[in-house]
Amino acid sequence: MPLSVYYFLTIAAVNILMTWAIYLPYRVAHLHFITVANMAISGYLSGYLVMELQMSFFLALLIGFAVGGIIGYVVSLFIGDAPTFAVVIVGFTFIYITRTVVENIPIIGGTMGMFGLPNVGSSPAAHRNIIIILLYSLVLVVGFLIHRFDNSRLGRAASAIFVDKDLATSLGVDIKKVGQLVQVFSCIVAGGVGVLYGFIYKSFHLDFFTFHLIGVFMTTIFVGGYSTLWGTVLAAPILYGLPLLFPPEVQSWRIVIYGVILILVLVLKPEGFITRKLVYSIGSSLSRRREK
Amino acid sequence: MKKMVGVLVLLLVAASMSFGQARVVVNEWQVPFLNSLTGAIAAIGEFLQWGAEYAAAEINAAGGIAGKPVRVIPVDTALDPQKGSVEMARIVKDTLVAMGPVPEPVIMAAMPIAVENGMVSMTATTSYEYAARFFPWTVSWFPPTLDRLPPLVAAWAKQFPAMKNVVQFIEPYGPWPGMAGAHSSALRSLGMVTNAEKAAKLIKELKNLGWTKMNQILVFSSADDAQLYATGGSDINGVQVYNYLNLETSNPRWDKFKTEFAKAHKGNMPFSLSPNYYDALYMIKEAIEKTGVTGDPKRLKEERKMIADYMANVKGFKGLLFDWDMKDGIPTNKPTYIFEIQGGKKKLVMEVRP
Repeated sequence: MPLSVYYFLTIAAVNILMTWAIYLPYRVAHLHFITVANMAISGYLSGYLVMELQMSFFLALLIGFAVGGIIGYVVSLFIGDAPTFAVVIVGFTFIYITRTVVENIPIIGGTMGMFGLPNVGSSPAAHRNIIIILLYSLVLVVGFLIHRFDNSRLGRAASAIFVDKDLATSLGVDIKKVGQLVQVFSCIVAGGVGVLYGFIYKSFHLDFFTFHLIGVFMTTIFVGGYSTLWGTVLAAPILYGLPLLFPPEVQSWRIVIYGVILILVLVLKPEGFITRKLVYSIGSSLSRRREK
Repeated sequence: MKKMVGVLVLLLVAASMSFGQARVVVNEWQVPFLNSLTGAIAAIGEFLQWGAEYAAAEINAAGGIAGKPVRVIPVDTALDPQKGSVEMARIVKDTLVAMGPVPEPVIMAAMPIAVENGMVSMTATTSYEYAARFFPWTVSWFPPTLDRLPPLVAAWAKQFPAMKNVVQFIEPYGPWPGMAGAHSSALRSLGMVTNAEKAAKLIKELKNLGWTKMNQILVFSSADDAQLYATGGSDINGVQVYNYLNLETSNPRWDKFKTEFAKAHKGNMPFSLSPNYYDALYMIKEAIEKTGVTGDPKRLKEERKMIADYMANVKGFKGLLFDWDMKDGIPTNKPTYIFEIQGGKKKLVMEVRP
């Protein structure tokens, strides 16, 4: 596989997974940006475990998932049923705190960053194969779980919370429990993705985990469609890949193009390109064909 | 008969001249430059790019590299590690030598790709501490921070024997805390290691609070750019600043560079780091010509190594401002300058050599 295709595919997978990690809590109207901090915490921790304690990468990856989940759970105890704005503020604060803590720990590189993460496999090519297989396996597993969630009673409960919390409560939905569930799940995903993100680059730098990432994920959700997981699958590679094809003269207009697309989508198609209705009608027509 | 002998002699001379000198197979040398042309540091990216392209124009006017023209290809990484890594992966397949990336987060994401593929990419704006991680596939433009900064700060402090304590304002970004540590190691406590705008604001505030010993404020090199002067105005008169760029130095190439830079930048003189990629392209030219690199795709691996080996230990390299040597990828004798700011201009106080 050409190297540039590998980097494109792996980063597209990271963006899909991380956008889902924001999509899922958004099902209950939570913009849970703490996931970006989770990426950094689990990523740096795994780097430390592998580099300093010679731990196996796979064990460090599992710890990365677990640490993401633990942080998500502890935080969700306080903001599981908090209003959207409060969740946003907690997320931003967590990112700032994480940056400051990492900046002040020299053993994980401090402001300089962490260099020279080893190959996961026996060679650079094996490393790339393992990373891409892990990422796309994760895309399949997480996608399947979110798909099941969306089509379950829990998913319908989440939709009710999104529309009106009081209505959901009156229908017997435990708002906090559903909120906690989606927050913890998204933090677990973000923790693991953070580990893999660093091992794609074989390094960690605090500027890998900036508010720029939130911008990318939010654009992906709103352009792709925030009411189904499929919008992300389509929008993440396109929004990330398209600018790479721009000629140099157009490159400097990239942010303007992003902005215009986002505004147009918000005005003309507020639910994004892939809506639940569209997914439903595609599903129905496919099943009709199968019946014929 | 005499005529024929003459022609034969000429042919023999021509043949012997070309013997031992490999034939260049490219019609044009293409040097991709991974630079942040958009995003938060686009202004810096612009003048780095300008320097590289100005060098290319000068080289081409003088006959090119080994007789072939050179073209610097701008590759915008937009200060984005994601974009930087894909762009590096794209060029690394068949590029002989590249320049950049800029700055540190993109370097960390993209340089491992260059290293893995054995391609030199010249990170000419970052500190030794970053560049050294990617040796021999880059060279450091600066000596190790702990070697170059303590003597410099000690020389600055010697001007003020009565100075007992120095407070240091530090911005936690990339190598800056490490540089602040190097300052401190020269004195018991210590300048200003922040970006230009913050340095200017801090100085203004100190002045408002009654600070009068302006030359006892030392601003570090990365803050020596247009924002320092625009924001600081007359409040930074008397402040001292160190830099690797001495506008007072005069030689024909540097004088022309300054004139052309000012024309292209609304009358501004070259900023800190402006000549780095100018010099980087000339170093590439020298490496290609001195090692007989041909640009033959079949010899890509071998010729990349030839360039890396040459650059790591180049001697007497004729830079825009001064000549310098490299030993194992590290410059050994580059001077640093301390200036005093007066009326928006810098006056040389001293030159410090390692």
